[in-house]
Amino acid sequence: MERKPAIHVDNVTQRFRVIHERPDTVRELFARFLRHNASFHDFDAVKNVSLEIGNGQMVGLIGRNGSGKSTLLKIIAGVYRPTSGKVRVSGTLAPLIELGAGFHPELTGRENILINGLLLGYSKREMMEREASIIEFAEIGEFIDAPVKQYSSGMYTRLAFAVATEVDPDILLLDEILAVGDAPFKQKCLTRIETFRERGKTIVYVTHDMQQIRNYCDRAVLLDKGEIMAEGEPEEVIRAYMTLWSPEAVAAAHTLSSAPV
Amino acid sequence: MIQLLRDTIRYRELIWALALKELKVRYKRSVLGFLWALLNPALLMLVLTAVFSSIMKFPIPHYAVFLLCVLLPWTFFSQAVAYGAEAIVGNGDLIKKVSLPKAVFPMAALVSNLINLLLSMIPLALLVPVLRHPFYATWLYLPVPMLALAIFTLGAIFFFAAANVYYRDVSHILQVVLSAWFYITPIIFPLDMIPQQYRWIFKLNPLIYVVNGFRLAVYYGQLPHLRSIAASFVCAFLMLFIGYYLFRKYQNDFVFYV
Repeated sequence: MERKPAIHVDNVTQRFRVIHERPDTVRELFARFLRHNASFHDFDAVKNVSLEIGNGQMVGLIGRNGSGKSTLLKIIAGVYRPTSGKVRVSGTLAPLIELGAGFHPELTGRENILINGLLLGYSKREMMEREASIIEFAEIGEFIDAPVKQYSSGMYTRLAFAVATEVDPDILLLDEILAVGDAPFKQKCLTRIETFRERGKTIVYVTHDMQQIRNYCDRAVLLDKGEIMAEGEPEEVIRAYMTLWSPEAVAAAHTLSSAPV
Repeated sequence: MIQLLRDTIRYRELIWALALKELKVRYKRSVLGFLWALLNPALLMLVLTAVFSSIMKFPIPHYAVFLLCVLLPWTFFSQAVAYGAEAIVGNGDLIKKVSLPKAVFPMAALVSNLINLLLSMIPLALLVPVLRHPFYATWLYLPVPMLALAIFTLGAIFFFAAANVYYRDVSHILQVVLSAWFYITPIIFPLDMIPQQYRWIFKLNPLIYVVNGFRLAVYYGQLPHLRSIAASFVCAFLMLFIGYYLFRKYQNDFVFYV
């Protein structure tokens, strides 16, 4: 049975206005009044991007810093309303775009689990039911009743990851969140991502770790300067990505990845 | 407007949790915690009662009751607006990461301050018999002006929260506006103490009907005229329409400016 694609991005452009000077508002106001001469320029962080992600696919988004990966993720998450184009998402969605978005430093882990869940659109009851397993997965221990400002960045990540995955969304957006956290926890997260995939969930994954793209993704998409440069088999897309780099950079990357860590 | 109602119902748990979060954060790290919500107005009352019953004598009996029954709603209004003006800017981090109807933040600001208002009415209710002021059955009418005030306040929060995203000057100007507004609202004096020729300024103030309702019910034991009640709700909904219209119009761009 053919179902609707989980994510459908249709010719999306996201334009940002970059204000050169800190917006001292009165001046800007006057400038805008007199002429359209305020000190800013527009740039397209994402340019005419069309993308279809089917149900149950795991798609890796790769590209250099500033290529528009995170912007695209935020457009899919509904944080940005694109300047032009359309986005359609079918199913519940949990964005894990930045660690612990919505964690309040003064509140305890437990309080933050509830608020985070509510922010993601789940009910209080649903969150109460999941609280125990979230705490268990995050390995927070007795710290769960301490304010999260006392957490280490690893604990923070773990809790955020646990909340976003435990709520069992149809679509999971992950933005380089596994950079933090120690190896065992990273493995645990990857295992969980794997289970997600096996259960037919859709995942969009942004990372700079090409090995993870090779191992986990069905498909990869290469973004450069806001445009899709390549799309398809992870291996091919990664190769295309490498050609964006200068030979020296590629050599450096190879030494880095082969060097003992 | 229907959208607002729908969002409120759908996100009621989140609004409530955000409101409680605000209160928790406000009183965190203080020994007395939540008690401050009660203690603050109680102490203010003590000071005011002491000042106005011995040092400065107004020709108004039980002046503390006269004053507090509208000062508390006013404090609610001014705090909710001052604080609510930051509702979007202050939650910028969240707005940039999660897709949510932005209206939940002004709503939460309203609710947390509303809780404070309700709590502050408790010491007032205790003060009334202590000062031997009659405790009128018209207290039961208070939910009506409170509702009108809440609607008006929400409209004002929407308005200033949206404006503040584009011009951060708003939160500074707001302080001046609020203190001027305080003096053109009959809070520390009755309206008939104002010379006839200036009274029109006060009559332009949309809050005057609500304030009147609070004072009549608590201090005079009377109910306002139907016309005055109607006027208070007309003003309230007008403010809500203006504020929410503006907020809605720009809410999708907030994320680029916070």
